[in-house]
Amino acid sequence: MKVLDVQSISVKYGDIQALWDISFSVAKGQLVALIGANGAGKTTTLKALCGLIPVAGGEIGYNGTVTSGLPVHKVVDLGITLVPEGRQLFPKMSVEDNLLVGAYLKRTHSKRSQTLKKIYSIFPRLEERRTQSAETLSGGEQQMVAIGRALMQDPQVIMFDEPSLGLSPIMVQEVFKVIQDLHREGLTIFLVEQNVHQTLKVADYCYVMENGRIVGQGTGKELEADQSIREAYLGF
Amino acid sequence: MELLPQALADGVMLGGIYITIAIAFSLTYGVMHVIDFAVGEWIMFGAFTGYYLNKWTGLDPFLFLPVIFVAYFGVGYLIQPVIHRVLSGTKGNPFLMGLVFTFGLAIMFKGLALTVFGYYSNSIPSMFSEGAFNFDVFGAAVTIPTVRLVGLAYALAITAVLHYMLKKTNFGLGVRALAQHKDAAGLMGVNSRRTGSYVYGIYVGISAMTGVLLGCILSIGAQMGNEYTIFAFFVVVLAGMGYLAGVPWAALLLGLVQSIFMIYFNPSHTLLAVFVILYLILLISPRGLFGKGV
Ligand SMILES: Nc1ncnc2c1ncn2[C@@H]1O[C@H](COP(=O)(O)OP(=O)(O)O)[C@@H](O)[C@H]1O
Ligand SMILES: [Mg+2]
Repeated sequence: MKVLDVQSISVKYGDIQALWDISFSVAKGQLVALIGANGAGKTTTLKALCGLIPVAGGEIGYNGTVTSGLPVHKVVDLGITLVPEGRQLFPKMSVEDNLLVGAYLKRTHSKRSQTLKKIYSIFPRLEERRTQSAETLSGGEQQMVAIGRALMQDPQVIMFDEPSLGLSPIMVQEVFKVIQDLHREGLTIFLVEQNVHQTLKVADYCYVMENGRIVGQGTGKELEADQSIREAYLGF
Repeated sequence: MELLPQALADGVMLGGIYITIAIAFSLTYGVMHVIDFAVGEWIMFGAFTGYYLNKWTGLDPFLFLPVIFVAYFGVGYLIQPVIHRVLSGTKGNPFLMGLVFTFGLAIMFKGLALTVFGYYSNSIPSMFSEGAFNFDVFGAAVTIPTVRLVGLAYALAITAVLHYMLKKTNFGLGVRALAQHKDAAGLMGVNSRRTGSYVYGIYVGISAMTGVLLGCILSIGAQMGNEYTIFAFFVVVLAGMGYLAGVPWAALLLGLVQSIFMIYFNPSHTLLAVFVILYLILLISPRGLFGKGV
């Protein structure tokens, strides 16, 4: 069953077109990845999916509802969320307040203390740092807050925009482990990554993007076997 | 030296008023990123509303404060989308256009008030207008008019309520999130438009209430807004743009500087002195007294 169904969307920044006729879908419980070089349009795609920028054409469907045209706060209320590029935490707020904003929505507000406990059990380090302001954390800890905050929303679909960017090798492994754990628990995941090797290993299905267009797709194995993809993204 | 206790008391009273003028103004800047030059005119409108309500009903102006808050909250709530439109434009420089727009609003409001109310100046009579408390501080006599004490209590109450709202309520959590990162707040489900309208409404409501208070303590007039706009701007810059926790201290400092200068130096140069002090502080600490502004 398709949870996300994107049908030939285009996005423009003023007169400049960033996305051209993008179509793809994500089935329930799948981990689907989107890879591509810098500037290909990955972040733009994610922003359009959650309503942060409007689409100029096409349609985004989520569980049978059309979400293109809805403002971001309505889209996330339906159960899609994004762990954005560069974390985008609330820098002056404490770690705990950052997490609690995740339960801002009415549908999650009543059970927020239980959800918070669950997040702290996934990331015990955050509980130790709960009163610290977010800007004082290390990059890896900030990524945990960003993921924890998204999980506080009790999403059905969680999208990640380059979650391993700028992290130490150990933290990169930890982030991938968390994503795989969430996948195993049944969450639907849409992952944008530069770390192509590892992404192809964990993803059920992959799309490849170039200059605002989808130029390839397949399972990780299929893409690894594809000569042009290997040359462009894997470097061998 | 025997004048000092009185100067300090006056300064604290004055500072209290500046808190209420500046705190919601600062919050609005933090959330909407607009400096609302019409703040003095909201104060003026509130003052006139209080004046006429008192004249028509004969009831004490302090009883009207909640009514005035609700009415002006509504006005602010309805006007905010227009300002939001100006600020979220993609053509030109939206920040500058926002400044010009609120400046234009201020001029229009003032013109309207001059036409309707004329040039007279008056004050609003209240049950607190007459009395005063007299203290003896180390042999120096200190007089505090009741109405000023009530003004200070009002300032503390407003500060406490805003503090509670921001730190303890879900709405306040959303407001803080919005002020720190608009897109991320949206991802958390915060409706930036509606929250912005609420914040602007709260600010206009508080400013109008403060106007009634100022009308009781000092006087009202169509041009009264000018100096309050300047003071609001001073306090917010001194506190650090958008740094709310700095506002009470900056307001108190401003009140004290002003009252001490008025007693010991030349009263007609007070504003100049305040300017100089603000300038020096910004020279040393460009992001306000606490270095935490933007
Ligand atoms: N706010 C913006 N205004 C104008 N152009 C933008 C904006 N954001 C991104 N772009 C352009 O859109 C294209 C896609 O960018 P982006 O989606 O960030 O790519 P990616 O995430 O794959 O690196 C790039 O050419 C980029 O320069
Ligand atoms: Mg990107």
